[in-house]
Amino acid sequence: MNTFQDMVLALHRFWRDQGCAIVEPYDLEKGAGTFNPATFFGVLGPRPWRVAYVEPSRRPADGRYGENPIRFGLHHQYQVILKPPPADVQDLYLRSLEAIGLKLREHDVKFSHDDWESPTLGAWGVGWQVWLDGMEITQFTYFQQMGGVDLDPVSVELTYGLERIALFLQGRESAFDLRWAEWLTYGELFRERERQFSVYHFEKASVERARQMFDFHEAEAKECLALGLVFPAYDHTLRCSHLFNTLDARGALATAERESYIARVRALARACAETYLAEVVGARAAP
Amino acid sequence: MPALLLEIGLEDLPAEEAEAVAHAFHRAFQEELRAARIPHGPVRLFWTLRRVALLVEEIAETQEDVVEEVRGPAVAVGLDPQGNPTPAALGFLRRYGGSPQDLLRKKLGDKEYLFLLVRKRGQPVKELLEGIASRALAAVPCSKFMRWDGAMAFLRPVRWVVALWDGEVVPLQLAGVEAGRITQGHRFFGSAVELRRAQDYVAGLRAAKVLVDPEERAQLLRQAITEVEDAYQAKAALSPELWTMLLGQTEWPQPVVGRIPPEFLELPEPVVVAALREEGKFVPFTRGGRIAEVFLGFAEGEGNPQVIRQGYERVVGIRLRDARSFFVEDRRQPLSARVPQLRTVVYEARLGTLWDRVERIRHICGHLARRLGLPADLLDRAAFLCKADLLTVMVREFPELEGVMGGIYARLDGEREEVAQAIGEHVRPRSREDALPESPLGTALSLAEKLDGVIGPIRVGEVPTGSRDPYGVRRRGSAVVRLILEKGLRFDLFALVEEVGDLYPGTEPVEKVQAFLWDRLRSALEERAIPYDVVDAVMAKEDGDFLGVWERAQALSAWVHRPELSALALAFSRVHNITKGQEASGFDPALFAEDAEQELWHAYQRVKPLVEAALAAHRYGAALEELLTLKPSIDRYFDEVLVMCEDGRVRANRLGFLRELSALFLRLADLSRLVVPG
Repeated sequence: MNTFQDMVLALHRFWRDQGCAIVEPYDLEKGAGTFNPATFFGVLGPRPWRVAYVEPSRRPADGRYGENPIRFGLHHQYQVILKPPPADVQDLYLRSLEAIGLKLREHDVKFSHDDWESPTLGAWGVGWQVWLDGMEITQFTYFQQMGGVDLDPVSVELTYGLERIALFLQGRESAFDLRWAEWLTYGELFRERERQFSVYHFEKASVERARQMFDFHEAEAKECLALGLVFPAYDHTLRCSHLFNTLDARGALATAERESYIARVRALARACAETYLAEVVGARAAP
Repeated sequence: MPALLLEIGLEDLPAEEAEAVAHAFHRAFQEELRAARIPHGPVRLFWTLRRVALLVEEIAETQEDVVEEVRGPAVAVGLDPQGNPTPAALGFLRRYGGSPQDLLRKKLGDKEYLFLLVRKRGQPVKELLEGIASRALAAVPCSKFMRWDGAMAFLRPVRWVVALWDGEVVPLQLAGVEAGRITQGHRFFGSAVELRRAQDYVAGLRAAKVLVDPEERAQLLRQAITEVEDAYQAKAALSPELWTMLLGQTEWPQPVVGRIPPEFLELPEPVVVAALREEGKFVPFTRGGRIAEVFLGFAEGEGNPQVIRQGYERVVGIRLRDARSFFVEDRRQPLSARVPQLRTVVYEARLGTLWDRVERIRHICGHLARRLGLPADLLDRAAFLCKADLLTVMVREFPELEGVMGGIYARLDGEREEVAQAIGEHVRPRSREDALPESPLGTALSLAEKLDGVIGPIRVGEVPTGSRDPYGVRRRGSAVVRLILEKGLRFDLFALVEEVGDLYPGTEPVEKVQAFLWDRLRSALEERAIPYDVVDAVMAKEDGDFLGVWERAQALSAWVHRPELSALALAFSRVHNITKGQEASGFDPALFAEDAEQELWHAYQRVKPLVEAALAAHRYGAALEELLTLKPSIDRYFDEVLVMCEDGRVRANRLGFLRELSALFLRLADLSRLVVPG
């Protein structure tokens, strides 16, 4: 087992055996697996929840025209949610690394303090970046809040940076040289796409239209919320979030304006969380 | 006496906070022992990022007894009219094992009660430990509290607890975890350790690859750093933050030396240093002002050094490649082209954008250039450019390079060397320990930048109170004072604050800024070990020449233990006291009738020009020495002359003269504030 896909399959097996539902990526642009409804809504409310999935994550500002070995406008996260977290959650995580073939006793593994925060989701947690020989390979977070709502119970979110872990497993220096399958490299799959999206996000995207689209989706989200249609509202919130990222990468936002865009997305996310708790979780709890 | 071990096992604490948390727990635990009257020997503290442990080598089995006053029924209820105890009082006595003659009476408010002195037997310490440890843990201040399973909030989850009383487990629960005798060894290279006795703790963990004594880890780190320094003839570029991180990061540190790929050695030295030190990862080294080709990391545990070294070199290469691309990107436009973009960045809602801040700094620089005799055009150019690097990618990625980067880019843009240096130095000092700028322009620019950061917040009402100082006004105020005192800047700070007053919006008056700075000066003098009475003496009257205040304080301090100064202070006090509150009035020397009057008048006439010349030349020691010569004449004057005499005209004349004499002294200091040994 050495390919990118084998690594994913091994993680799937490992977390399935830990009782996780293996769900699919969500079909909208998003900056991180946290935005997938399986996480955003799953961590809300009292119901125990264990899911795992791959999430292609778009961060326009991180694009490097396909020229940086480990930075991309779109990378792949492996996301695990454990709610409530078991007491041995750190060990469990380390065992998952062993399960995909990392020999941890050969390496330097550190849990380095890094508290996570998503201002657009109104979410924060505390935890670590996990370093393997100094390289960040996982964000490990005890969520404390989501959509502005205090979580009870809390959840642990594990976000593996798959490209980086694969570098270790395959002994490569650049993600573009990774084997995705025996016959296919990561570069063949994604390098040209990386280049094009960098051109688009940094140079060509229409600021004017992105602003307009943001406004449209925001209006649509609000209308859905008024109708109690929380899932469609959340989809439009995700689109707003991605359009904000696009505007940001394009360098179109001055600081103050940037803050106001973040606040607008956060207000939507918060309303989605509250509506979900009231209408969906509340309805489930009702006799 | 038995020994006690208490270990709290945690998920990895933030490396930068582990030491502080451990020390806070150590302190709180000892306070609890004291409050609970438990005699004990030294309490040793051990910690890593995964554990905090206390080893009390000797601890009492039981608390000390204590005698307490216990309140019983009110006298009206407890005693019948004959003064005999009622059933209520007898019940009270029975409960505490007292007899009627032990009853005391005491008023509480307007009612009188019966009291009994009760000796409370000390409890077995083992039974108290749970309360003591939980209260001590709850008293630890954390930067952020998290919840993990609802039981408790702390910096990180508590996962195991060891509590041993010599060889016996103390039954207690902490943060929902039952104490036992099993501690966890190194995550990968040690196993769980069953401790037989409390005293086995350090050795037991060492066998399980945990150096739980921070001093042992520090020695190991220092030795590894020195070895690299010697082997490569280079000097480690440590910082206090990096050291804290390194000490907190590992339980079993293994030094791993890596090499920086040669193509990155061309990058400016501060950039490479910042990239290596980032997040406490690696120790950079320099040689003759340039970055050396090696770096040092500390791996956790006994992993394969070749593998780890390769990994370290890869992340260093990636980060330096990032840094190089930031550098290339930033160089696409000169700093000066970025300045107008400062208009888009909010500095503070009420104080405008960074552009507004720069405009104010330029203004202050204008005043400083005039007062300090500096080239105004160069200083203005440096001020104009000084915040532009905040818009560069490099500073966004490495905030510690603020200012430094501006200096580097300015030099490459072809700005004058003095300008580039001033920009590069202007954020210094960032902390109390940080070095000051070296160049005169850098000093002035730093002063202006700090002053703006003091005046602005205070004028809009952000005066620091207690530990609350969100704008870092106190730190900046202290930097202003440090710059003036240590760089010997002679100008009237109060006049400057007054003159730039119109630049600031806000509700608070200029006087508030001046009072704040005056207070910072007082702290600075106290920190520099100036005796408090000397501080009072030289600060009796507000004075915008802070350097002068400092020099006057030094002059006085040099004499403070000598009897001559005490004697002069007593003499001056007589002059000062008698003239205090008197209206200013002239005097006519022709009216001085008595010898003593004549003598003091002549002495004064002789000394006055000398004192004034010394003051004007800021030779305060010399001024004091001249004043010292007046002492015998003043003493004789007060022995022989009755100032408050019957004749109103003579009296006013004498007071008029003494007032002028007093004023001459006060230009140096109010010596009446000195504490004179009795």
